[in-house]
Amino acid sequence: MNYFVGIDIGSTAIKITVTDEHKRLVGFKINASGSMFYKYAKETLQSLLDELHISQDDIAYTVATGYGRKLFKEADENISEITANAIGAQEAAREYGEIKTIINIGGQDSKAISLDSEGNVVNFAMNDRCAAGTGKFLDVVAMNLEIGVDELSDYHFKSTGTPLSISSTCAVFAESEIIGLLGSNHSVEDIVSGVHYSIAKRIVKLVKRVGIKENVYFDGGPALNAGLVHAIENELGKKIFVPEYPQITTSFGAAVLACDAFKNMPEVEREF
Amino acid sequence: MNNINHNIESPKEKQNRHKAMEAIKLLNTLREDFKAPISSMEYFYDLFERVHCKHESLHDDKTKIGTMCIQIPSEIIYALDGVPIRLCNGFYTDDEIGSDLMPQKACPLIKATVGHFASGNFTDKPDIVFSPTTCDQKTKAGVTIESFGYKLIDIDFPRTKESEASREYWRRSVKQFAVELSRFQGKKLTRTSLKNAIKKIGYAQSLYHKLSEFRKNELVPILGLDVFLVTNAFFFDKIDNWIEATEKLLSELEIRAKEKITVSGKASPRIVYTGSPPIFPNYKIPLIVEQSDAIIVADETCSSNRMFNDMVAVDEWNIYDMMDSISDKYLKACTCPIFTKNEDRIRRVIQLVRAYKADGVVYQAFAGCTVYEMEQRSVLEAMEKEGIPIIYLESDYSPSQGGQLSTRVEAFIESLKNRRRMKK
Amino acid sequence: MLNLKRKINNMNLVRFRFWFQIVAFLIIVYGGYVGLDLGDKLPTFACVYNSEGTGGKCYVGMLQHDLKHPLETFMGFAGYAFLISLAMFIAWFWVLNKGWCGFVCPLGTMQDWLTALREKLKIRFSEYSWANRSKIKSIKYILLILLLIIPVMISNSIGGLPKLPNGLSMPFCDICPGRMLIPAFTGNFNQFYIDFSSKTDLVMTILGMMIVGLFLVGSFIKKRFFCYFCPMAALQYIFSKPALLKLYKDGAKCTKCGDCYRACDMDILEIADDVTSKNLVTEDCILCLKCIAACPEDGCLEANFIGITIFESSKEGFILRMAMDMQKESHE
Repeated sequence: MNYFVGIDIGSTAIKITVTDEHKRLVGFKINASGSMFYKYAKETLQSLLDELHISQDDIAYTVATGYGRKLFKEADENISEITANAIGAQEAAREYGEIKTIINIGGQDSKAISLDSEGNVVNFAMNDRCAAGTGKFLDVVAMNLEIGVDELSDYHFKSTGTPLSISSTCAVFAESEIIGLLGSNHSVEDIVSGVHYSIAKRIVKLVKRVGIKENVYFDGGPALNAGLVHAIENELGKKIFVPEYPQITTSFGAAVLACDAFKNMPEVEREF
Repeated sequence: MNNINHNIESPKEKQNRHKAMEAIKLLNTLREDFKAPISSMEYFYDLFERVHCKHESLHDDKTKIGTMCIQIPSEIIYALDGVPIRLCNGFYTDDEIGSDLMPQKACPLIKATVGHFASGNFTDKPDIVFSPTTCDQKTKAGVTIESFGYKLIDIDFPRTKESEASREYWRRSVKQFAVELSRFQGKKLTRTSLKNAIKKIGYAQSLYHKLSEFRKNELVPILGLDVFLVTNAFFFDKIDNWIEATEKLLSELEIRAKEKITVSGKASPRIVYTGSPPIFPNYKIPLIVEQSDAIIVADETCSSNRMFNDMVAVDEWNIYDMMDSISDKYLKACTCPIFTKNEDRIRRVIQLVRAYKADGVVYQAFAGCTVYEMEQRSVLEAMEKEGIPIIYLESDYSPSQGGQLSTRVEAFIESLKNRRRMKK
Repeated sequence: MLNLKRKINNMNLVRFRFWFQIVAFLIIVYGGYVGLDLGDKLPTFACVYNSEGTGGKCYVGMLQHDLKHPLETFMGFAGYAFLISLAMFIAWFWVLNKGWCGFVCPLGTMQDWLTALREKLKIRFSEYSWANRSKIKSIKYILLILLLIIPVMISNSIGGLPKLPNGLSMPFCDICPGRMLIPAFTGNFNQFYIDFSSKTDLVMTILGMMIVGLFLVGSFIKKRFFCYFCPMAALQYIFSKPALLKLYKDGAKCTKCGDCYRACDMDILEIADDVTSKNLVTEDCILCLKCIAACPEDGCLEANFIGITIFESSKEGFILRMAMDMQKESHE
């Protein structure tokens, strides 16, 4: 049995996905990327394979992606996270429908990708070198509110007042603003939904730059936050599709690509 | 896979939420960010919150007469049993909607107003709209608004105010307006109803004048921002409620003046604000000014001072004379930059600086508000001649842009403080 | 002191003036019955034909009389008398300046009563167009010159023209509506006649009758109709500059709202539009002070007596006068 590995080395986490020949998800693992990408990536891969009881030899093809992809020298190939994301999204949403627009919010960046009907990337936009309105930002917000990141969604849906928008989605500036709001006894719920809408507005602006075509796919860690999803849907005025494991779409895409690459290889080369 | 089940907002809900978010942000800032808050201001904060965040309508039982500028006489509307709703709009949300319908370089106030009409999303939807032909953009916006299916009537407004012809012309326009409205309402304009309306509005204006007197004090008891809010409320509030709330505010200010409670700092420079009107919730520039330790003591804008300053003066309390004096009030004293010559505006600003002992002038124009942009040069020259420091700022409704503007404003205010120190 | 000043500024000028005018009217028209005699150089129409009632005499009559002298005598005692009369006229005039017109003149008061009647009947007043308004300004000067020159021409031949008939010795009085109307208030209707004794008298008395009719009709539809043409006003204006009572304007405070202009019975445009002059007593001003009462700006307009502000415009006063100080609905 041949297995395929996609490794996504992101700014905050390393995501590794293993698929079988039918591009089905076999397993995945997420680990903080920390300071030594290469070392951690190797360790993570090893522990994942151990868990899945797959030996190194069964790995037919490995594709690395993410901004640390070039550091992972063992990979057979490396591709940009944009391409990997596009491929992963289409594969993950195969049963849902054709994906034309992808929203990705990562740990320290956010992207909007537009696809044509054949699934090729036709346009994409990224936020400027800044973590404003990304996963990191949500971490800071949760920390300031003294709640867990996973609780943000609950708070969002409990909000009954007008969402209290914050002027800056910059993690540094927003911190003082949130502390100010808390100081004036505003409800945490309204602050959280305000934060979500502020991020949503920002991301929708980004999406508008590449054009909004249905269906819209949303991935990256923050996509686990249903409150944020709600806010983005409202801002977009459209339903968006969130996969079961939104964090690993890119590495899944890399694995899918590995699978395709292997199949397209001449028979002889496969031996090596 | 997608385990989140909830409905997506309709465009109307989304617009309402956006506007609510804009509104609450400003209201919270006003409520919380300044020292010595005034408790009777709560009525106004609450009013705006009710209307813009909770979307309460105020005038279900009345015919709502939409007006596009200050030149449509409220006196006549009240006399004919309508409620004037001034539709000049300050919401960025609506500005964005209007941007798709208007040229890119158009004035944000008009884009926001058109956007508001385009969305059809009103808490108090006007039954008829009267649009005076003041500036080009407002004049032309009427047609766009009409195309959305509103009943809109243009009211001819002259662009000069010195000549006899324009005075006659405008008097005729006002009469025509009264005829149109009277027909629409199925009511006759009577001497008593018009007299009562004039006196009621006159009384409201007298309250504004009393409010202004407090701002002449060395220790200013009220923020310029709060005054903008009070005057903005007059756009749409029930007039009797407004009067009651303002009376309360005045008695609180009386006490504050006695107890020497002030909202400004020890060295806060006093500012006269002029230019494009700050309309809720676009208080961007006034907010920056007052957050930078200055205090706005007077203004020359059509959303505040210009709307209240000049009162109807009747010599013979018969309809003919009341109508004429109403017409004159809305034309003769107006310092809108749409007029050809506008020495009056410069004189007014200088007079305000003198009367309110201001240290400087903040002149703000909306990018796209051509007339204010054009008049900027002559006003700056005149102020320089008078030795009055002035800063000219161009802004729009977008929530960003704050940083650069606040740096300029802060520097200006610091320079005013320095000037003061040098004088002493 | 401050309190008194505030009270004055807040006064109801319309009422004050109404009663002031009545008192003045009583003095001028009926003062003679109680032996009052303010002399014959009054700068107002205290009509000499109201022989029993009048409390003084109009200077215009005196002036015409003074001028009806041959040149030789005029260069002597008559001229001396003329100068003394004129000086006394000026002295009287300086006290109130044009306030004589707005507060004392019985003809002016009559016109104000007619205006009040019209207002009661809810009939709109008429106005001149601005162009006509400025055209008719010169008529009062023409009348003044005529009333000065005609008496002179009775006794002197000017430029070789024949002397005028003696019937023209009081040319202005012949056509002055006061001659008929003021005595009428004492029940004396003797002046309503047409004199057929000579051609001159016939013409002048018919003209006088017509002018009375015009005065009554005109001032009913046009506020202070007659004052626009009054030669007394022209004569007064020549000496107006140094008078004691003044109407001052602080142009910096003016918003050009035009309230004062609308209140002005004499349609004086300058009161609203002139923001550079200080002294606003213009040729047609009657110093009725209605403009001050109608001005909503603090201290923009003021009545000044020898440097002391006696009445000035104020927001508070304006609001009180317009009854905007309270929320009360009137039900009429």
